[in-house]
Amino acid sequence: MDYLEFMFAGFAVFWAGLFVYLLMLQMRIRSLQQEVERLEERLAEQEAGDRRTTEARPVAGGRPAAPATRQSPAPRT
Amino acid sequence: MTAGLASLAARAYGLRWRVLPPLTGVAMLAMLIGAVLAAPREVIEGEVQRLMYIHVPSATIGMYGSIGVVFVASAMVLWKRDMRWDAVARGAATVGVLFTALTLLTGAIWGRPVWGVYWAWDARLTSTLVLFLIYCGYLLIRQIADPHDEQTARYAAVFAMIGALDIPLINMSVRWWNTLHPQPIVVRPLGDEALPTEMLIVLLVGTVAISLLVAWLIVLRTETELAAQRIHGLRAGVDRREAS
Repeated sequence: MDYLEFMFAGFAVFWAGLFVYLLMLQMRIRSLQQEVERLEERLAEQEAGDRRTTEARPVAGGRPAAPATRQSPAPRT
Repeated sequence: MTAGLASLAARAYGLRWRVLPPLTGVAMLAMLIGAVLAAPREVIEGEVQRLMYIHVPSATIGMYGSIGVVFVASAMVLWKRDMRWDAVARGAATVGVLFTALTLLTGAIWGRPVWGVYWAWDARLTSTLVLFLIYCGYLLIRQIADPHDEQTARYAAVFAMIGALDIPLINMSVRWWNTLHPQPIVVRPLGDEALPTEMLIVLLVGTVAISLLVAWLIVLRTETELAAQRIHGLRAGVDRREAS
C-alpha cells in the first residue's frame, strides 16, 4: 500500500496552486504598473497644458507673450 | 524601550525583500527534500502519508495563520478607521483562501487511498469548506464593491471577523464530533502515542517553510493593495485637476 501516484498528485497540486497564485499576483502588479504609466502620461499632459497657460499670461501690464487660451480679456494691472 | 523596539521592527521590515524570498526558497526546498526523501516511510499508509508535511502546515499556518491576520487587521480597520489595515486584511484573505484550497485539495488526495473517498461530509471537512466559501465571498464582495470605499471596508471587516469564528469550530470539530479526519497528531495529551521524532523534525521544517512563505505572500499582497490604494488616490487627484 504505497499510492505513490497520490503522493505525487498531492505535491503537484500544492506547487501548481502556489504557481498560479504568484502568476495572478504578477498580473495584478503589471496592471498597476500600467495604471501608473497612464497616470504619468496624463500628469505630463496636464503640466504641459499648465505651462502653456502660464506662458500665455500677461507680464506686468504688458500684452500676452502668446495667444491667450481664455476668451476673457487679460486683467489690467 | 518602545521606540527602540519600533525602530528595530522598522529596520527588520525594511529588509523584507532581501531576506524573505531567498530564505523562503531555501526552506521550501528543505521541506520538499525532507518530505520526499528524508522522512521515514509510514508503515500503514505508505508513501502517501508524506503529504502530511505539506497538508498540516498548510492548514495550521497557511489557513489558520492567514485568517488570524485577517481577523486582527479587520479589528484594526474598525478601531483605527485606517485603510492601510484594510489592505493587510485583503492581502491576508487572498493568502488564506489559497491555503484553505490547498488544504482541502491535498487532504482530498490523501484521503482517497486512506479513507476510500476524496470527500465526505464530515464536520472537519465541511467546516473547512464553509471557511473557504466565506472568504471567497469576502473577496468577491471586495471585488464587486468599490475596494477603496471606507464604509464597504468596515462592513467587509465585520463580515471577515464573523467568518473567522469558523476557525475554532474547525479546530475543535474532530473532538466534538465523530469524523473521518484523525485527531491531532502533534499536540496530544500526555501518555498518548505521539509522532516519531524523525517525522516531527521534517514537520517542523515544513512548518517553518510555510510560515516564511505565508509571511512573504502576505507582505507582497499587502504592498500590492497599498500601491493600488495610492494609485486610486492619485487617479482621483488627476481626474479633479482635469475637471477644474
